[in-house]
Amino acid sequence: MNHKLIGTFAGIAMIGTAGAATAAGELNLYNWGNYTNPELLEKFEQQHGIKVTVTGYDSNDTALAKVKAGGHGFDIVVPSSSYVPIWVNEGLLLESRPDQMENFKHMDEQWVNVDWDPGRHYTVPWQWGSVGMMVDTSVYSGDINTSAIVFDPPQELIGKINVAPEMGDVMSTAIMYVGGEPCTSDKAVLKKVRDKLMEAKSNWKSMDYGVIERFAGRDLAASLYWNGAAFRTREKNADVRYGYPKEGYPLWMDSATILKDAKNVDNAKIFLNFIMEPENAALISAFARYANGIKGSEAYMPKDMLDAPEVVIPQEFLAAGRFTPTCPPEVQKMYTAIWTELQK
Amino acid sequence: MASSRPFAIRRVPGFTTIAIICFALLYMPLAPLVVYSFNAGTSIALWEGFSSRWYEAAWQNDLVQEATIRSFVIATLASLFSTILATMAALGTTRTQPFPGQTAIYAMINQPLMVPEVVTAVALLIFFAIIKTATDYYGLAYLVGAHTAFCIPFAYLPIRARLEGMDLTLETAAADLYATPWNTFRRITLPLLLPGVLAGAMLAFVISLDDVIITEFVKAAGQDTLPTYMLGQLRRQMTPEVNAISTALLAISVVLVTIVFLLSRNRAK
Repeated sequence: MNHKLIGTFAGIAMIGTAGAATAAGELNLYNWGNYTNPELLEKFEQQHGIKVTVTGYDSNDTALAKVKAGGHGFDIVVPSSSYVPIWVNEGLLLESRPDQMENFKHMDEQWVNVDWDPGRHYTVPWQWGSVGMMVDTSVYSGDINTSAIVFDPPQELIGKINVAPEMGDVMSTAIMYVGGEPCTSDKAVLKKVRDKLMEAKSNWKSMDYGVIERFAGRDLAASLYWNGAAFRTREKNADVRYGYPKEGYPLWMDSATILKDAKNVDNAKIFLNFIMEPENAALISAFARYANGIKGSEAYMPKDMLDAPEVVIPQEFLAAGRFTPTCPPEVQKMYTAIWTELQK
Repeated sequence: MASSRPFAIRRVPGFTTIAIICFALLYMPLAPLVVYSFNAGTSIALWEGFSSRWYEAAWQNDLVQEATIRSFVIATLASLFSTILATMAALGTTRTQPFPGQTAIYAMINQPLMVPEVVTAVALLIFFAIIKTATDYYGLAYLVGAHTAFCIPFAYLPIRARLEGMDLTLETAAADLYATPWNTFRRITLPLLLPGVLAGAMLAFVISLDDVIITEFVKAAGQDTLPTYMLGQLRRQMTPEVNAISTALLAISVVLVTIVFLLSRNRAK
């Protein structure tokens, strides 16, 4: 009985101490799981004496729902580009003006006037990448820079195709493939998209995450997937190449931003400035293997990333890349209907 | 339980085959998980030689360590509180005259089993957010509270089953011999009930240790538990580190179940 009581009190005492989490010298980072380089945080702690606590999330929606509810205790969040306008419109973000920070001079010009945050009044790039076609070139040696790989697949690839189960990315790629604009509400276009997806689905093997192993085991020969995974897959299966569809392909960027109800605003600002330092941006990239948006970070990046065609988009394919905007709710509803039908 | 003696299910033709198939289906998926936790490469499906590097990696990973300790603290407290509450609830619903509304009370106690977890999660998220902003307290108590709540039915069911199966004569005899209700409970009911309480506590502990959805919604800054940490890993890049953690958890639960089994067997003698 006594032991139990002691245990209970010890437990209660622990709960008590864990509650005081807003002292000076702290920062609460709310980021995608397995996305933050521990070395980056160690360096930040050493330089600024600010202890960073990382908490993970697994989707934009989870992060948004939690922060919207309030009482979350986070200072910095890292939403994807398509979600940033929602965060801004909901009034959840602090206009911390990264564009006036000291290290903003390192920001790559092409990422300054972005649709989701013109002039960078709220956000600092964390990492960015693309959605494209992973193809095992030992199975199919034709042109891989087209979405036809999954939507009108060549004979060799039929039955060996995977598609990432991400509504936004798949819908955008399909709409651009049939010649529409992302977020279109044109019923004729959407009809075409729906028919194309339903027809293509019979040629697919799966709609799953986790393709690296399956390419390595030669179970898959093609997939609509993210560039970072394509890069890592090439280390396991040297025949895998990453194609940038000429019909258009989605780009994404996750950006760090300060929450309006953050408790450690000053520390959060120091952190945003810190990650715009080229050496630190390179640390972010070295960990999760995606490109960052900071000029001069190349000098500190792992060598194998610098000439990787999955990470550095070749010049001739740059123009086809599109940052997909957040679609209005009524459009989103139509997309969900198509998506639901596709998943049946 | 009290089915007729001569009929022995074990002697039904095909029993052994079906049992073996069931056990194989239950446990086979665990085999590759364990095997690949010893993979020397970074893959969870391609064998590249034997190594314990992922166990070392997990052991040295501060995030994993903190998440593990947090998971165990929450599971211990939640199973303790929920078992106490469930025992009281079980006594209240079995050692009493049937009263109007009893069925409604069963339903309410078992509500976490019926309501989809994500509904509870969203409700708790909103509810706790109000309290958090009002009190400015962000500690682990919210997670412990939430876990306690959804663990109650898991602790309640085995305890109630045990209580219902227990003979009332001993308790009646104690009362006849002028034992106070508390003494009856302490000396008679509780010792007899203990296997049920242990089973309930174990179940609650494991359920709390496993929980993802409610934890994901309720957790505040720096409150990742092992399952939510692992969930974050899955989406990006999975390494055998996840296998190593899972295998270690598996080993811990096997040890726990064995201990409880041995303890209850000794008691039964």
